[in-house]
Amino acid sequence: MATASISRSDIVSRTLAAVFGGYAFTWGLIAFGMAAMVAADMEFHDAEHLTAIIGFLVFLTIFLTAFAARNIVRVWLVLVGGAVVMASAAELIKNLIT
Amino acid sequence: MLQNFRQSMAWVHTWFGLALGFVLVVVFFFGSLSVFDREIDRWAIPASRFEPQPMPSFDKLMRPIFEDMQPLPDARAFTAPLVNGPLPDHFDKVKSWGAYTTHRDPVLTMFAGYEVPNAKDPETMIFAQRTVDPRTGAALPDDRLKVGSGFFYPLHYSLTFYWKNVGYWIVGFAALMMLVALVTGVVMHRKIFRELFTFRPRKTTQRSMLDLHNLTGVVALPFHFFFAFTGLVIFAGIYFPIGHTQLVALHDQHEIHEALETGLPHDPAGVPAKMASVDAMVKEAQRRWAEKGMAGDVGFLQVQHVGDANGYVSIYRAGTDRIALTGEGIHFKASTGVVMREDPPPTAVGRINEFLTGLHLQHFRHWLLRWLYVLGGLLGCACIATGFLFFVEKRKRQHAKQGSSGARVVDALGVTTLTGMMIAALGMLIANRLLPDVMPDGWPLRGDMEKYCFWGTWVMAMAHAFWRTAPVAEGRIAPAWREQCLAIAVLGVAAPVLNWVTTGDHLLRTIGNGYWPVAGADLFMLTGAALALLAARKLQLRAESKITVNTPAMEAGHA
Amino acid sequence: MPDALMLLVALVVTVMGMGWLALSVENHWEQVRGKAACPPATVKSLRVLGAVALVTSLVLCLMVDSASMASLVWVMSVAGAAVIVAFTLTWRASALAPLVFWTAR
Repeated sequence: MATASISRSDIVSRTLAAVFGGYAFTWGLIAFGMAAMVAADMEFHDAEHLTAIIGFLVFLTIFLTAFAARNIVRVWLVLVGGAVVMASAAELIKNLIT
Repeated sequence: MLQNFRQSMAWVHTWFGLALGFVLVVVFFFGSLSVFDREIDRWAIPASRFEPQPMPSFDKLMRPIFEDMQPLPDARAFTAPLVNGPLPDHFDKVKSWGAYTTHRDPVLTMFAGYEVPNAKDPETMIFAQRTVDPRTGAALPDDRLKVGSGFFYPLHYSLTFYWKNVGYWIVGFAALMMLVALVTGVVMHRKIFRELFTFRPRKTTQRSMLDLHNLTGVVALPFHFFFAFTGLVIFAGIYFPIGHTQLVALHDQHEIHEALETGLPHDPAGVPAKMASVDAMVKEAQRRWAEKGMAGDVGFLQVQHVGDANGYVSIYRAGTDRIALTGEGIHFKASTGVVMREDPPPTAVGRINEFLTGLHLQHFRHWLLRWLYVLGGLLGCACIATGFLFFVEKRKRQHAKQGSSGARVVDALGVTTLTGMMIAALGMLIANRLLPDVMPDGWPLRGDMEKYCFWGTWVMAMAHAFWRTAPVAEGRIAPAWREQCLAIAVLGVAAPVLNWVTTGDHLLRTIGNGYWPVAGADLFMLTGAALALLAARKLQLRAESKITVNTPAMEAGHA
Repeated sequence: MPDALMLLVALVVTVMGMGWLALSVENHWEQVRGKAACPPATVKSLRVLGAVALVTSLVLCLMVDSASMASLVWVMSVAGAAVIVAFTLTWRASALAPLVFWTAR
């Protein structure tokens, strides 16, 4: 089937990125989304539901990208970096509005 | 990752589909059965085989029951570790009462939430639960297991593996992998429209399995996608508990703000007060709904801060005629019966969320749509099953040559999670009919015994599966499939027969009286038995014909 | 027309619609009408017929239930109809011949 050989470390790295990197990024996205929407006067539960709906679709996309991307290092950087930036932004906004 | 995008997606589809497929087929199968969970409850609890009832009088029937309810041993066991010191024998400080019913429930389930003294977290509550006959108030014995809504249904979303919510997480990850498998499947399937109706059973097993896999996956693609997706959305609070962790401050702020805005007090006043007639409140709620052109039954009733001056009664309309579960909530001051608030129509996001959750949880009255849901669910099972079968067919000869038993293991797991799972479900229903009404002292309760029978039967089916798939390691078909299909055929007839013998409800009587919950369950099992017999026959013919054909493994032996 | 009957009609129309769409695919046309290739004009008209049938069944569903329920009923009936047509093509393809009664054998 596949003529290119897939290294075990490649599989492990991509799986970890897809699952845990994806989870962290989605967490950051949902947290940031919720905080921003609540700050913009959206009702709390509405913000919760809307960001969850978007979040799962993003998680799906990330999962597939982790296996489709040529350079997995770049994927890791975006996922971890994005997670940290968005979660921190959520903290900032939360502290501003409570 | 691999040569190109399509190959990478094919790799992901194969390996993640395989690994999580074993979980997904269980989720889809018990999800399909859960469409008729309350009907399965009727079959399993003969005392509840009567027509669905509306919610009875609160003042006359429900209130004395609420006041009498105390938490059961399993609730006490669950709460004990959350407390400093021992639990009291009797819980006095009641916080809330609740009752929920749909158009399919003959019996009414009632809940009471009590404060827990000396709890580590002061917000901790312990719940009492009782199921009653709404016509008389008579309670069902506590050890009756609602096999449908109380076992098959929770199994489908949590595998009943509750330690640290691990079961929920496994199902959640499997649901995400379902979405991944659907998208990667579409990417892999080049001629998706051209081959939409293609099924060639007379070609090789590998080809016909792939045809069926594609067919069942594509025709119900929106169904498969939406169910996996909405399942995730429903439990989003478990998977991404941001509102209770990182952003809990926002959640608490909202609760206070909402209490002020709605006028519904968040905390009790600490001042006792009598409760006005709740029946009058229900009548007023129904009057208001009818006035809006939405006459309906009560779906959910809740009393908050019972016996307190701040107490309020919330009455919600059952969503029988729409996708949303309940709605049109009206809140009354408990001590006076005055309307405090009518819930405004939901926001746009609220409506989207209601549609997504209601689509999945199905409290609507629409028998055709329900059966179409069962069809969708079974198509999903077929898609996953044919995926396994294709995987094994494609590799078993290769593995046989290499002396690897990978294909055999996958085939054995396939038997376990397909026919084995059905045998376990049937075994449980048979145990339900055979166990004594009250278990002797020292034995687990009847409901718990039924669960043990389920798991025990499944373990035995797994043992049989692994034992009887040895030929796969030589590139041949496993007899386990045919043998378990025969078992399903036998059990699928035994269960309705036992129903007849132990309750007197045979098909002529149940169909004659139009009592479809039990008739439907019996017919479903008999149909399944017939299909299993047909499958066993087909497998027998195929196994016999293969003996005359030289397999590559045998050919290699000749050279 | 009572609801149950209207839904039954909707289901039948959906099956016919999926049948027409299936017959517009060369392999399935051959299963029903033999080796003679399907003329391009017929392929087009089969696709149109299929689409019209599916829209009709959606309208019928909407006449019975609210929009949110009707759309679910319709989507699922399309899935069921596709399965029925696929299995009919596999085991009794000639049963679909009446759908193209105006074409030559």
